[in-house]
Amino acid sequence: MASSRDDFIIAIRSAFLKKSTQQKFSLLTLVFFSLFIIILSSLDFKVIRYSKAVINELVYRSSFIVSVPENFIKDSFIQVKDYTNFFNKYKKNISELESLKSNYVSNEITEYENRELKELINDYVSSSNKILAKIIVDHDSPFLKSIIINKGSKDNIKIGTNIYDQSYLVGRVIELNYKTSRVLLLSDLNSNVPVTIAPQNIQAIVTGSGVDSGKIKYIKSGLSGQLIDDSIVYTSGTGAIFKSGVPIGKLKFFEENSTNEYKVEFYSDFSQLKYVFAEIITQTSILPTTQESNENSVEKNNPLDAKLKILEDELNIIEESNKKFQKENENLKSEINNLNYKVLNLNNKISSQNKTIDQFNLDTDELKFLRLNLTYGHKCRKSLFNNKGFIVGSAGYKDCVLRKGKIDG
Amino acid sequence: MVSLRTKGSFLKLYSWLPILILYISVLNEFDFNYLNLEYFSFNFPFILIFFFTLKDFKHFDYILVFIAGLFNDTVVGLPLGISSLSYILICTATAYLRNITIRPNPVKDWFYFLFIISLINSLNYTILTLFFSFDLILMSYLVNTFFTFSFYIIFVSLFKYYLKGLND
Repeated sequence: MASSRDDFIIAIRSAFLKKSTQQKFSLLTLVFFSLFIIILSSLDFKVIRYSKAVINELVYRSSFIVSVPENFIKDSFIQVKDYTNFFNKYKKNISELESLKSNYVSNEITEYENRELKELINDYVSSSNKILAKIIVDHDSPFLKSIIINKGSKDNIKIGTNIYDQSYLVGRVIELNYKTSRVLLLSDLNSNVPVTIAPQNIQAIVTGSGVDSGKIKYIKSGLSGQLIDDSIVYTSGTGAIFKSGVPIGKLKFFEENSTNEYKVEFYSDFSQLKYVFAEIITQTSILPTTQESNENSVEKNNPLDAKLKILEDELNIIEESNKKFQKENENLKSEINNLNYKVLNLNNKISSQNKTIDQFNLDTDELKFLRLNLTYGHKCRKSLFNNKGFIVGSAGYKDCVLRKGKIDG
Repeated sequence: MVSLRTKGSFLKLYSWLPILILYISVLNEFDFNYLNLEYFSFNFPFILIFFFTLKDFKHFDYILVFIAGLFNDTVVGLPLGISSLSYILICTATAYLRNITIRPNPVKDWFYFLFIISLINSLNYTILTLFFSFDLILMSYLVNTFFTFSFYIIFVSLFKYYLKGLND
């Protein structure tokens, strides 16, 4: 018993400490070294942060180069798959495009109004500039869903910068290097996004499911019954982590363990991303004009009054323009009435003229018959010598006269 | 003379092939995501490290394995040192198995591999959830362990061909 335990200890000791001729370090040294690095990486020192950023830059670039063959195979596979669905997708896209075109105009108006209101509330204009970023590494591990983009602190990207695919939210930056950064995708388990579910206007938090969809988390009890299929999920902007009003996906209903569950189907397909947009937000204060600055100097002490004044001015402008519109509206109404009256008169005139024309046509036909009757009447009239003739006044007699006395059509 | 030199450099490259493949696999992460297979994944570096350290392959330096772990952490986005620790623990386990084995048996090695990867994945999961507050899917770890274990026997037969070619 004691000897087997000794053997075990000897084997373990040998495994940890013995270095073969090629090895420069014993395994025990490397185990301690790994633990040391794990502890260091959990601490947020400036030196560690910089050295990590340098390692990241090097590894990401190397990974991009090494991944070229796999990416080529992957792209070819996706292309073949796409070709098979090409026609169906094309038809679907056309119908979607039509409906989107009609929505576009109203969206633009809403966006403009929204921007104006935000300016009023915040006293600053937040101008956003989307920059295109290429995905250099997208090896989402089975455990973590993230991508690496080729833009970093050099391009004004910050921790928390929102990342988009077209206008759909994809995720946010969680690790920043000089020329690269890591984006945590919405599908990751560690991603939490405050959202609004429309049209019910329910507030919730969407978290990643670890696969390609999201799930609803932290919804107020009793409200989950109001959820319906195909409801739109967009960011609510709560917590100021994500910009508000950015579409994320649609709600889809499914059954799990005989209970009704909802998952969020993201608009963007994270496995097909090649380029994304990073939104750089800069805030610039609204500078008052010289005239306004004098007025504002008095009100500077009370910003609430200043805001109220701005709102009053807005109201006045709106009232004035409303009055103008009302006046114009009345003018147009009276003009329409006049025109309607004219149209009615003209219609009456036309109908009387039509009647006259009809009467004229009738008179012309009668005159023609009477003239022919004088010449050919005796040929058509039935008499003792003319058995084939017709009785005067009958339809046959009239036809015969109009045919200039020819009895047999 | 030229052909001898060419043959020599080719042999050198061939003998460094396992470590080269290890680096390519950690930088590339063979994932097959585009197949849309849910949960499907396997850990190729585990198989590679286990086999070549078990065979005490002379070009499979522990320090290079350790650095490969750091690269893997950077690519995947795990805290630095986690994969290095996992890889080094595999090396330790194989060194121990080498010390206690007189007559190697591939099936026993295979099940020992299952035991070791289960242990290491559990350790990984514990460290990440307890100390780094990561939310992880346990099922992904289980499926990953299962496929890594299943593919081991296939890759081992390929690696044996490689070793045979090297000895010839």
